[in-house]
Amino acid sequence: MKSIQFIVNGKECTVLCPPAKPLLDVLREDLGLTASKECCGKGECGSCSVLIKNEVVCSCLILAGQAENQVITTCEGVGLSPNLDVIQESFIAEGATQCGYCTPGIIVSAKAFLDGIDHVPSVGEIKTALGGNLCRCTGYTKIIKAVQTAASQKISEPETIR
Amino acid sequence: MLVSEIDMITPSSLPECLMQLSKEGRIHRLIAGGTDAAVRMKEGKWRPEIWINIKNLHELRYIEESEDCIYIGPLTTHTDIIHSPLLQRKADVLVDAAREVGATQMQNMGTIGGNIGTASPAGDTLPALYVLGARLELTSLSTKRIIPIEEFILGPGRTVLKENEMITKILIKPQKPNEIGIFQKLGPRKAQSISIVNVAISLTLDQDLKCREGKIAFGSVAPTIIRARKCESMLPLGTLNDELIRNIAKIAWKEVMPITDGRATATYRRDMASALLERGLYRLIRRWNNH
Repeated sequence: MKSIQFIVNGKECTVLCPPAKPLLDVLREDLGLTASKECCGKGECGSCSVLIKNEVVCSCLILAGQAENQVITTCEGVGLSPNLDVIQESFIAEGATQCGYCTPGIIVSAKAFLDGIDHVPSVGEIKTALGGNLCRCTGYTKIIKAVQTAASQKISEPETIR
Repeated sequence: MLVSEIDMITPSSLPECLMQLSKEGRIHRLIAGGTDAAVRMKEGKWRPEIWINIKNLHELRYIEESEDCIYIGPLTTHTDIIHSPLLQRKADVLVDAAREVGATQMQNMGTIGGNIGTASPAGDTLPALYVLGARLELTSLSTKRIIPIEEFILGPGRTVLKENEMITKILIKPQKPNEIGIFQKLGPRKAQSISIVNVAISLTLDQDLKCREGKIAFGSVAPTIIRARKCESMLPLGTLNDELIRNIAKIAWKEVMPITDGRATATYRRDMASALLERGLYRLIRRWNNH
């Protein structure tokens, strides 16, 4: 067991856990942040996606000790009701979620992607950016639409609400 | 050994890391991006007593050029490679290959040193490194050696790396202005897939599409990456027209030595190796004409 510190969603946290415990399990079990999900557990599906220093990564393959002192953002950190992010609002408005298991990971990936660009992305660009996130329900059409909607809203109302 | 029993050491410098690697009487392993190491830990294949965590050893994460050589730190991520203007200009085939690794998450986490050390026959950056004439610096506490990547990889997952050594530098030859490369991959889907066949091509071209010299390396069609020497020897035979390209692609069918496994049959791999090379050469010429 080791005492490991992180900054999760803007808050400093200290967790006592084995250093080889996957970060995803620390987030879910030790910190009660259950938005990030485990699905494949080997970096193929993206359900566990979180941001470390604004880069999207699979939290199931980062060990707790490797994430020490890192700045981590989960879907809860992107936005929580009633203060949802424009991406989350767009996913609701476009109906871009069905069972919801993959949604937090996709929101986090979309957040990293949209923060890095300043235009409304093409379908191709979105497919590349979200290539690491699988959804077995929606067929992706509405997800892609929601990301485009979010991008156009971000451009038309820059930083007013947030 | 349970996952909960594994300890972790995070060295703060390369010398400290080499010191840890040289310690005997315990089972330890390096872990960087974790895209292979953490998966193997979960599968029960790798359960060291201690992980030597080098994920944030920033002194090994760089891309530099000096005196006709490009130096890449082993902890450089695939994303770093994709965004490097230097590599885009002088190692286009490596940038191409890094783009085909997994998807965004894997590109952000995975490192080039890890891709080399894992020595998978399907590793996407490896054929690109073969055609760029990559050499690797292997360092231990008391030794340092530089060897070509062809001599580093012995077979699937097997390398000449000793227990106390690690890859500390990747050296590649920068492409000249008349050199152009491309990486082509066939997987079950576009993102997040393991290559069924992949190929890296690098050509030195004259104005009239005559190839002065070329290198071709295939992945996933043999126990290690292989150079297609017969195909390479045909490249300078004339202008790269339809006839020559098709003939070279035919030779590729014979030159690769694939096996049948869960991902594809040997025959399918031969057909696809030939098709990917043909497609790659056509796309390369189109890219050359457009630039």
